[in-house]
Amino acid sequence: MCIRIIGASNRRYAHIGDIIVAVIKEAVPNTPLERSEVVRAVIVRTCKELKRDNGMIIRYDDNAAVVIDQEGNPKGTRIFGAIARELRQLNFTKIVSLAPEVL
Amino acid sequence: MAVLITLSLAGAGVGYRFSDDLQKLGRLQPKLYQSPTALFPHKCLHCKCFWQVPRCKNLTLKSRELPRLRLARAKEAEDSFTPNVSEDTDDMFDDMFEKYGKVVYSSNDRKSPSTELDDDAESLSFAVAMANVANDVKAGDIKVLFVKPLVYWTRFFIIATAFSRPQSDAIASRIRDMAEEKYGRVPSGDSKPNSWTLLDFGEYRSLTL
Repeated sequence: MCIRIIGASNRRYAHIGDIIVAVIKEAVPNTPLERSEVVRAVIVRTCKELKRDNGMIIRYDDNAAVVIDQEGNPKGTRIFGAIARELRQLNFTKIVSLAPEVL
Repeated sequence: MAVLITLSLAGAGVGYRFSDDLQKLGRLQPKLYQSPTALFPHKCLHCKCFWQVPRCKNLTLKSRELPRLRLARAKEAEDSFTPNVSEDTDDMFDDMFEKYGKVVYSSNDRKSPSTELDDDAESLSFAVAMANVANDVKAGDIKVLFVKPLVYWTRFFIIATAFSRPQSDAIASRIRDMAEEKYGRVPSGDSKPNSWTLLDFGEYRSLTL
């Protein structure tokens, strides 16, 4: 669950590439991350359409974020699902290189 | 790419119906997409796989050739659950696109094939140079992977294994220095030591694990 968007004063919605502070509502047992832990995450997929300059519009089926540390490196070792190439311009190169599909 | 994969999987599931529908629409030559029962009345393989008639358009077969072809078709049907299916359907979609499709939009930044080849060669030489540098610092299990057909954002992946954190840092810094000195390229990516390091040079990136 998103608590706050980092780098914005009072923004209501986060888009792809935004870093948020979130709380973990559900976690797999015996993992480093536990339920009710406050973490940083970067948004990688949104149901809201992402518009590009060339006119392309990308809309995913779900909202998804990747848990990151303070330096922007992913805490996990696997990324599921397709992500947008905008993340590469935002210097999340590790996430892009781990992703199975980059749109 | 995602769209292509989805389409090929859907084609594998409902292969017969898809070809029949197209026949009804009159978009495909019925001779090319004739059902297998009509071609081989002795033995028909009713499997839920996509059926693709061989490339040759001349379908008049001699009776002597039939058993051999039937065997070949049976093998094709067995192999239909392997990744060959997607390749076949991709080819079929390419053929269909050539016949009926048209280009609506194409980006202007497409390079000519000769330029692409030159760039590939240059990237390869740079990648090999970086791999040599990693080898000098005693990195293990060095692999240079050509991933251009698979991903859009890079040409080569260089994967090297370091056996300790200082060694990983040494490899990363050595590669960074070499790229800056000889090729004038500055990588983006990690600056601080981490459990694994990624150096992104744009067209090629190196991962130190």
